[in-house]
Amino acid sequence: MTGDGELRELAAKQAALGEVAGAPAADPVNVPMIRHWLSAMGDANPVYLDTGVAPPAMAQVWTMQAPVSGDRSPVNVMMTALDAAGYTGVVATNCEQTYHRYARVGELLTPATRFTDLAGPKRTALGVGFFATWVITWYADAGEPVAEMLFRVLKFRPPEKRAEPYPLRPAVNRDTAFFWEGVRRGELRVQSCADCGELRHPPGPMCPRCHSVNRAHVVAGGEGVVYSYVVHHHPPVPGRETPFVVAVVELPEGVRIVGNVVGCPPESVDVGMPVRVTYRPMDDELVLPVWTPRES
Amino acid sequence: MTGLDAAVAGIGATDFSKDSGRSELRLAAEAVLAALDDAGLSPAEVDGMVTFTQDANQEIAVAREVGIGDLRFFSRVDYGGGAACATVAHAAMAVTTGAARAVVCYRAFNERSGRRFGQPDAGLGGQPSSQGMEMSWHVPYGLVTPAAWVAMFARRYLHTYGATSEDLGRVAVAMRRHAATNPAAWFHGRPITLADHQASRWIAEPLRLLDCCQESDGAVALVVTTTGRARDLRRTPAVVTAAAQGSGAGQMMMTSYYRDDMTGLPEMSVVGSRLWEMSGLTPADIQTAILYDHFTPFVLTQLEELGFCGRGEAAGYVRDGGIELGGRLPVNPHGGQLGEAYIHGMNGIAEAVRQLRGTAANQVSGVRNVLVTAGTGVPTSGLILSGVSN
Amino acid sequence: MRTLTQEQVEVGSVLPELSLDLTPTVVVSTALATMDFTPVHHDVEIARAQGSKDIFLNILTTMGLIERYVTDWAGPAAVIRRINVKLGVPAYAGDRLSLRGSVAAHAEGEVTVEVRGMVSLGDHATGTVTLVLPAGQP
Repeated sequence: MTGDGELRELAAKQAALGEVAGAPAADPVNVPMIRHWLSAMGDANPVYLDTGVAPPAMAQVWTMQAPVSGDRSPVNVMMTALDAAGYTGVVATNCEQTYHRYARVGELLTPATRFTDLAGPKRTALGVGFFATWVITWYADAGEPVAEMLFRVLKFRPPEKRAEPYPLRPAVNRDTAFFWEGVRRGELRVQSCADCGELRHPPGPMCPRCHSVNRAHVVAGGEGVVYSYVVHHHPPVPGRETPFVVAVVELPEGVRIVGNVVGCPPESVDVGMPVRVTYRPMDDELVLPVWTPRES
Repeated sequence: MTGLDAAVAGIGATDFSKDSGRSELRLAAEAVLAALDDAGLSPAEVDGMVTFTQDANQEIAVAREVGIGDLRFFSRVDYGGGAACATVAHAAMAVTTGAARAVVCYRAFNERSGRRFGQPDAGLGGQPSSQGMEMSWHVPYGLVTPAAWVAMFARRYLHTYGATSEDLGRVAVAMRRHAATNPAAWFHGRPITLADHQASRWIAEPLRLLDCCQESDGAVALVVTTTGRARDLRRTPAVVTAAAQGSGAGQMMMTSYYRDDMTGLPEMSVVGSRLWEMSGLTPADIQTAILYDHFTPFVLTQLEELGFCGRGEAAGYVRDGGIELGGRLPVNPHGGQLGEAYIHGMNGIAEAVRQLRGTAANQVSGVRNVLVTAGTGVPTSGLILSGVSN
Repeated sequence: MRTLTQEQVEVGSVLPELSLDLTPTVVVSTALATMDFTPVHHDVEIARAQGSKDIFLNILTTMGLIERYVTDWAGPAAVIRRINVKLGVPAYAGDRLSLRGSVAAHAEGEVTVEVRGMVSLGDHATGTVTLVLPAGQP
């Protein structure tokens, strides 16, 4: 994730590039597109077709094109970086168009873009974000500027959508936090005694074998075998769709652990079935290790 | 031989229903009064009380209602239904040592119309107590109901010994047959067939609806005093020949899935071996057994742990009416918790007393010793009650 | 069609209100006429999937409608020099866009009109349009 300072540095670099030419319009200014535009806008002003000029607000229309992937224009580079930094939301805030003259039918317009400014981060109603500003100038054949547009967008970090909290939460304390931290990192941690090496699950504060309170853990390989299981049908369980499978899984490391078997129909689960651990986010905070079938 | 000098001198109960319409405290008071009346003791003569940690009625509250005065002994036993026989064990130790002269054991709840144990409690895993931490390895996966906790053991048992859902069904059929002729039973007059069991819906595979005990409102109370005093009271005493509590290595509440074997109940073996040792009796000396039956699979396991049959042989033991009236070991002649009522095992102790008195609805002939067990899958307890001539 | 002359306009002159039903047809046809094929302006399912309540007007159309609003009033001989717009709430299909304006400045041959485009959610666009009007016949 890019830091805010790096974003401002990148913006300064893009601005330093100055005006960067874009691809010329696919078609010259033409009557059919003008007629179409006037009709859609409900604009009855006869001046355009009578005198062979385009409505000035059409300036951008001539060079509209589908976004090209891998476009390395300054604006795109900046937008991509903002997305990557988590400022994924976008809303246009300002559009200021200046018309030096009306474009004439038959002229081919070519745009050029200058990235001008990145301001922020600022707190806004939509979330924290940066205001990015650029200017596009449309040139006629002879390099004569016909129109220009300042465009500003707010790139914001959308407030995180809170998932409905999963109701079946584990209690976590200093004896068990390592397990749940592991799960969040995609590790299935099995407690080990730092002195005698004894593995143990569920974990506890003291080694039952040597009474050491020095606790460590190993990361299990993630494979297991169903030792026993139930298919829960009734009564309904909060946060769960029935039927669902809960199994006691035996790990080759020598401990057993309880978890759901997912990714297969309940009737295909059996004692002795080989499974592999996977991780399922239950809400914004809780991740559970669960099990899916694997080839033996 | 036992070191105990105690007997159950009185039993009392409310009606067993799905909606008592009364407070739990009122149920407790009614049952205690009934037990004292049965024994022929006045409330003023009671100086000890024992109940479950899960009971919502404090001893002092029940004492106030009933008019019990000074208390010299009070004790609570933990671990859900595993407490049932232990309330009598604690009372027996109290009267034997003289800590108290007459102790009332009771359990009262609106388990059907109030808080239902069979319904998921999402908060089970949320507490930072040791039990909350234990539950936290299971509850987040939706493993949150007693039926599902037991089903996990049952699956492994069926897998290991090649037993089937029908073998579980035979336990349910036996209990409902017994309840059908017990007027106090909720399922009085409503026996089931094995086909009914097999047609009942899944609750938590491999358990079906008819593998699960009912949920009940009601209360049961027992009066325990010394054997000598009991002899002078209104009823024939049921002597506490042996009483024991038990918990196994690696024990958890309903989820002891991490021990070497998941097909047994080591805690019940702890209880059983102590009962045999204390009483000097063997399984052959038991004419009828009250085995805790909140779910059918653990009835099979208990038959094995208590030595009525060998490991993996219980399915054969219950075939052909083995645990029914007239069978080799009639189990739960009152219909058990599957048939009579779920009063956390306390109604079973009362049935054992009736069998010894000869006053049971489904009386087994020649009863001299009754073995009673408490909650399974949890730290538990057991009793051997005997006739006074023993 | 007549065109207003510089003399006919004074600061404070109010433009007649223009009220447009933003039917889906309006939203879609203007988006395509402005060569804007972004799905949120024509595909309601995609618009909703992205958190909008419906398809909505694109900015090029907002600019075009403001231009039309001012030239409807000023007449064909008016020459538009600048349109500066601050963009506000979206103008969704099914809503109604009301354009109001008044003359804010009038100097050295240039007339500045303040324009406000409102929808039910509030201001969709506010800003100014600067134009040149012909001088009146002596």
